[in-house]
Amino acid sequence: MGLMENLGKVFNVSLIYATFRASTPIIYAALCAAITQQANILNIGTEGIMLVGAFTAISVSYATGSWFLGVIVAMLAGAAIAMIMAVGHIKYNSEICAIGMGINLFAIAITKFLLNTLFHTNGNFSDPKIVPIPRVELSFLENIPVLNQLFNNWCFTEWFVILFIIILQFLFYKTVWGLRLRAVGQFPMAAETAGIRVNAVKYQAMLISGLIGGLAGAHLSLGYSAQFVENMTNSRGFMGVAAMYFGGANPVLTAVGCLLFGFADSVGARLQAYGFPAQFVLMMPYLVTVLVLAISMAIKLGAERKRESSLVTGDSH
Amino acid sequence: MSQSMKNLLKVVITMVLSLVIGAIFILSIGENPIAAYGALLKGAFGTKLGIGTTIAGFTPLLLTSIAFAVAAQAGAFNVGVEGEVILGGITAAYIGIHWGFLPAPLLYLACFAGAMVVAAAWAFIPAALKAYYNVSEVCVTILMNTVALYIGSYLVSGPMSAGVATPQTDPVLVTIPKILKPSSANAGVFLAIIIVLIVIFMLYKTKWGYKIRTVGTNPEHADYVGIDAKKTFINAMLLSGMLGGIAGCIEVLGVHGYYLDGFAKDLGTNGMLAALIVKSNMATTPLMAFFLAVLKSGAMAMQQTTGVPKAIVDTISAIFIIIATMEFVIQIKGRRQKEQAAAVSSGEAPGTAPPVESEEKEE
Amino acid sequence: MREYVVEMNHIVKSFGEVRAVKHGEFTLRKGEIHSLIGENGAGKSTMMKLLYGMYPIDSGEIIINGETMKKLEPKIAIDHGVGMVHQEFMLVNDLTVLENVILGFEPKKGLTIDFAKARKEVEHYIEQYNMDIQLDKKVSQISVGEAQRVEIIKTLMRGVEIIILDEPTAVLTPQETKKLFEILFNLKAEGKSLVFISHKLNEVMEISDRISVMRQGEYMGTVDKDKTTPLDLTKRMIGREVFLNIDKTYSKVGQTILEVKDVWVPALKESSKIRGMSLHVNEGEIVGIAGIDGNGQSELIEAITGLRKVEKGSVILNGKDITNLKPRKIRDAGMAHIPEDRNRRGLNRSMSIEDNLIAVEIDSGAYTKGALMNIPAQDQYSEEMVKQFDIRPTDYKLPTSSLSGGNAQKVVVAREVSMKKKLLIASQPTRGVDIGAIESIRNTLEVAKKDGAGVLLVSAELEEIISLSDRIIVIHEGKITGEMPASEANENNLGLLMMGGTVEEEKGGEAS
Repeated sequence: MGLMENLGKVFNVSLIYATFRASTPIIYAALCAAITQQANILNIGTEGIMLVGAFTAISVSYATGSWFLGVIVAMLAGAAIAMIMAVGHIKYNSEICAIGMGINLFAIAITKFLLNTLFHTNGNFSDPKIVPIPRVELSFLENIPVLNQLFNNWCFTEWFVILFIIILQFLFYKTVWGLRLRAVGQFPMAAETAGIRVNAVKYQAMLISGLIGGLAGAHLSLGYSAQFVENMTNSRGFMGVAAMYFGGANPVLTAVGCLLFGFADSVGARLQAYGFPAQFVLMMPYLVTVLVLAISMAIKLGAERKRESSLVTGDSH
Repeated sequence: MSQSMKNLLKVVITMVLSLVIGAIFILSIGENPIAAYGALLKGAFGTKLGIGTTIAGFTPLLLTSIAFAVAAQAGAFNVGVEGEVILGGITAAYIGIHWGFLPAPLLYLACFAGAMVVAAAWAFIPAALKAYYNVSEVCVTILMNTVALYIGSYLVSGPMSAGVATPQTDPVLVTIPKILKPSSANAGVFLAIIIVLIVIFMLYKTKWGYKIRTVGTNPEHADYVGIDAKKTFINAMLLSGMLGGIAGCIEVLGVHGYYLDGFAKDLGTNGMLAALIVKSNMATTPLMAFFLAVLKSGAMAMQQTTGVPKAIVDTISAIFIIIATMEFVIQIKGRRQKEQAAAVSSGEAPGTAPPVESEEKEE
Repeated sequence: MREYVVEMNHIVKSFGEVRAVKHGEFTLRKGEIHSLIGENGAGKSTMMKLLYGMYPIDSGEIIINGETMKKLEPKIAIDHGVGMVHQEFMLVNDLTVLENVILGFEPKKGLTIDFAKARKEVEHYIEQYNMDIQLDKKVSQISVGEAQRVEIIKTLMRGVEIIILDEPTAVLTPQETKKLFEILFNLKAEGKSLVFISHKLNEVMEISDRISVMRQGEYMGTVDKDKTTPLDLTKRMIGREVFLNIDKTYSKVGQTILEVKDVWVPALKESSKIRGMSLHVNEGEIVGIAGIDGNGQSELIEAITGLRKVEKGSVILNGKDITNLKPRKIRDAGMAHIPEDRNRRGLNRSMSIEDNLIAVEIDSGAYTKGALMNIPAQDQYSEEMVKQFDIRPTDYKLPTSSLSGGNAQKVVVAREVSMKKKLLIASQPTRGVDIGAIESIRNTLEVAKKDGAGVLLVSAELEEIISLSDRIIVIHEGKITGEMPASEANENNLGLLMMGGTVEEEKGGEAS
């Protein structure tokens, strides 16, 4: 009957790529938040950094005709925004949530302002002169039905994100800098007395975070779509932060969290075609994020309780 | 110079600084900043309509800014006020439309009560998640705002739709009288002012307020002396939610007379902005709410008369808040004061600062 | 060659309004052990933290190996051969011992850390100084003594020639202290120069070549160990002769007020988990709990006071089962509590002295009228407390963050004692306060006992435990290892029990 048939239409092979596609911008955002979290800085400004990146990427691509330049300048713009936050938080003691929210509001306002003054338009901006990030065509896959559907025609930055997760995992847990970053995040005094310049490490983390956030925005405007829309990040930055919590700032686990949101998003979009009210579909990823956050924190708390319990024997010497 | 004078001076300096940065933006697009700011002020105060618009904008901002500030006093960073406004508004609209069997005075009460209950219930979710599972209330409230937006939007375009082109409900049966017509200012502003005064009194003169402030400054100390930190935290969030709900109710009954989709856009955000600029200080938050209301209400006039896009106003407010969060202390007696101020304020930072490490602990 | 490897001249350092070091002088010779002594708050730790570059000096000069240091931070200090073992260990809990040891000086292999090489180097030191260290454990899983050895290895790995030890014996048993001293003598024999910060005179007399004294931020002179006596040092430290031994009264012991029955309590650290502990406190007696910090004292107190979950067993207060009740209910049942950390729990530093004094009574109605605060009643009470407990400054509207350690602690003591509850729990009541406050706080406990309260005292100072308690319970790794009347207790038998040994062992002469 219809139901099974419809379910088949919702859950099919193309859902896998759809999930991944929807997840990628969130993964970049989550990695942006993860790197500062390792230094114990909650990067609430991810959303704003990303939005500025998205706008910069579109403008530069439109002006120069080069997507690559667009991405690079977007990353630099992201870094600049992140450095405002870094200076405020590290040097002038800004409460991180407060300045982060300030950055987010600033990003929305300034992109709107520039949209008005540079492109003389409201709401959104798209133009044939915008060169999007190219898609990777794997011609050898073309004749293989499932694999072709799964892996062909990915955006360049979608392939790159996989590599990037691995790079960050390596950076955090295998390199000298990663060790120092984690030490700074967990016990800054210990790092300081071990001869590490704590603030320098924090600035470095924020800088890299800004670069990643800019990349996240560039992917959103030039890879995921080819236009700029006011407030187009649409809480993806916050979802990234949530996913970062879910994964405990571990890049691989964080990415898994992002895939969950991407999945909710993609399934929702398909359900809409079957008469589900649009609003319920649209709120799905947000609800799922809250749920996942709550569950992951509850699990974490439970694990902590179990580890601390006196009734189980730890490996005391 | 007293501490409060210094705080005020700092706010003024920050304000000037952000207006200067705004002026640079205006100059960069080839407009005259003085003319722009002049047009803005004239728009906000120059006409009866302008004043009315300013007051109409001030009313919800006053409530939402205090809503944020109250939660902050207990150590919560409640970004969710906007969602609370939306759900308070839709509840007030539902009761106002369907509970016609009540006499008018009771119907007013029912609208406000319903808005407060529903908004408080909404605020309870992030509050409880934070208190019992340590889930970041910042994240949860941000996400829940979007959910509330869609809930409101679904109801107003589906079950509660008036069936006209715009997504709105039928008109409510009771409305709050307008003042300064033809603007949308209404008597709700007096109600808002009274409520805010009560909240401020409660916070500083009653034991409930004492508990909230204790929990906000040192939750571990609160638990130790026998004040339940989790419960108090949740209570403050509930109060914050109620204030948001009242704001929603006043907007629906006073400004529109029905529920209009998207009416709450930026009300919560701007309230938060006002509170954040003055570090959730209860006395100065209302002043800041007024300042932002002036900026907003004058912005349209500025855009029309000078060609400076009104987005510049949001930009200036955002710069304002970014600078305001920083603690560069006005240097009068040099370093020593700076260190002191840093110590004091790190103790004040809601819920985030670890117990201040003091020199007397050194041995 | 220069006479001194370190010279600190005319040092001044303030934190806000507090002048931690008013006038500091210090010199260190190569190959000596130089003790820096003084009471709590004398500024000795601050002096050495300045040498290690943890804060900048306000004025004065620091000369290391003949070089006047213009700018100093830990990294620079280490580069100049200065290392420091802090009183609170500077170890990251979630990292392994090996990762902690190499932090900041990691050997590299390409892009990654060369753990093999690091391990080899560390093991070399472990062998040389015969230290017992497990490199692959996380720091959260090792004992305090081991953590201290890790700290020493950390400084050695950085190739330092000057090692500062900040109250290293505070967390050790007498037996562990002996072991540490062996290591220190070995280091000295190798030509390292050591600074030993302490306020325990017997240790100082045992280990030092020279001794410098500080009092209230002022340098009080340097003497050769051979030319001084403990009495002379005491006078320099305190300015007068003090006998902290208060007259212990033996009041009539009444009925049992607190009973802890086979209690199990969770903890972050394995060694702090409480696994089956039973004890009782009677009216009119002080029961002292001795043990090395981190062996479950804090967890036991938190469990009794309702701040930590009891997983098994029960706590009876005044005949009422208070297991896992909220702190408010437990207080109402007759408990007062001086917590171990006044800055974390005991006080709300951003509120006034008055607000802090009434904190536990906020719901009792004594200082409120309905829901309104009753300011006149609060003022009257605060005035009384400030007078009775000699809290200075006397302006009770000031925030507690402006108080010195001793006065801050007096606020806590005043609040908890003035209600005359039947059970008084005092956890580290004199930690980090000046000698005057120590005397007055100890007397207050004694008075509470005389008035018939049961007192449960936890202290890291054996001397305090022995001189105040009627009965002493020793705990080790969350279990009671012994109990005895105070009259039978001495540093030796307590120390052994604190290590987890038994009194019988000691009698057999088998000090581990």
